[in-house]
Amino acid sequence: MKLVIYETETWIDLTPISYIRPVFELKCGMYTLIERIINTIKIKDTGLYVRDYLCDLVRSRYPYPVNDPSFLQDDLLIIDGRCLVDSDFSFTPEREAAWFFDNELAYAFIKKENVLKHSENGFKSILDFAVGLPRIETKTKIMHFPWNFVLENSEMLKKDFISKGKKGIEGKFSNQAVIHGENDVFIAEGADVHPLAVLDTNSGPVFIDKDVKIFPFARIEGPCYIGEGTQIMPGASIREGNTIGPFCRVGGELEESVIQGYSNKYHDGFVGHAYIGEFVNLGALTTNSDLKNDYSTVSVYVNGKPVDTGSLKVGSIIGDHTKTSIGTLFNTGTSVGVMCNITAGGILPKFFPSFVWYVNNKFMKGFGLGEMIKTAKAAMGRRGKTLSQEEENVIRKVFEITAEIRKTYVTKSFRAK
Amino acid sequence: MDRAEIEKRVKKVVSNILGVDEEKITSESRFVEDLGAESVQSLELVAAFEAEFDIEMEEDAALQVKTVGKAVDFIEKYLKQ
Repeated sequence: MKLVIYETETWIDLTPISYIRPVFELKCGMYTLIERIINTIKIKDTGLYVRDYLCDLVRSRYPYPVNDPSFLQDDLLIIDGRCLVDSDFSFTPEREAAWFFDNELAYAFIKKENVLKHSENGFKSILDFAVGLPRIETKTKIMHFPWNFVLENSEMLKKDFISKGKKGIEGKFSNQAVIHGENDVFIAEGADVHPLAVLDTNSGPVFIDKDVKIFPFARIEGPCYIGEGTQIMPGASIREGNTIGPFCRVGGELEESVIQGYSNKYHDGFVGHAYIGEFVNLGALTTNSDLKNDYSTVSVYVNGKPVDTGSLKVGSIIGDHTKTSIGTLFNTGTSVGVMCNITAGGILPKFFPSFVWYVNNKFMKGFGLGEMIKTAKAAMGRRGKTLSQEEENVIRKVFEITAEIRKTYVTKSFRAK
Repeated sequence: MDRAEIEKRVKKVVSNILGVDEEKITSESRFVEDLGAESVQSLELVAAFEAEFDIEMEEDAALQVKTVGKAVDFIEKYLKQ
């Protein structure tokens, strides 16, 4: 049997954080969605199906065939890359069936004869066939929108800590640091918890991965995962339900948020119920609201249109390589595209198209894509990373597909004056 | 649109964005040295010219334009395309 992890046109509902990565690279708990699928389902023969412009990038990252029709020649378990797979995942390989979550196909098992019959017309044809199979409801959730990752994070962290099966102290833990609470802690080799740091496990476990540094006076509440090489700055208040890293620097207050990796929120300021992409830099005192003053549900712009999250608490969704100035204040449920440059100035809009500069209360195109890519290379170089040609191509494609909405906002800014 | 009309509208936009009286703006005026444009205001000028003339300029090239007269030339070229 082979496994196919795929994405459909629904990737657009996960923008801006899905613009430059496949949906299955988004993170919840300690793992990305693809790590969960691979680790849980354990079918070695795996293939991937992604949108065309990500194809080369994904090929460069994984040892699996990507968008390869010749792979579709066996019994297949196909699974939507947005599925949040955990130990509850189940399927029966004896007979064909389709498992649905929220009225949407989550995964399906298809026998070889039907795979061969439909594969000639492409993977989409297999998907169409799967939708008509005998239907079973599943508890495996589909992550439709960015805020789903944030809202599920605490529970997944608790489950992941158990499934990871690690506890105890392998790294350095100062005898003047404190573990307070009933739940477990794991401190990996190479990690260093300085004096006067507090790990509060009353609400859940704390997992500190290798080479993490926790500086004095930082307080970390479980459940929490701090990824490899991350630094938690002095005095930081890392509240419950955070996934951070790898290689982030985080200070100030952070609550129930996911930071994909390589991002900085170095200074004071509150960020809560947020999803932050890679290589984001939040200037000092950058703060987001995650609760409205009238306690109504938060709406978030998805691909330029407002969507009611149904949740009272949602913070900012911030795309990769975006930077904010000192003192930036984001309204509740703000969506910021990739590679934006936002400077503070009064109450900010709730939607920022990708690649905009927001200065003096106006949307602008900044110094152009060439300069933005130069900046991205410089930022990545500071962390010993390079922008690959495949990644640059994806950024250029995203620039192209977001051009129209960007132009609308820039023009509106200046026509209104 | 003739060159005189373009120049008149360019000066109006420059005056609005940089807060300089229109009569003090000449073709030879340099955005940074004479009119005091900061880097962020250069971005505003590019966006405001695009909105005023309903054109889309290439940012890198637009930001190389140093004087009001050269901006008129630059915009005139786009309007002819």
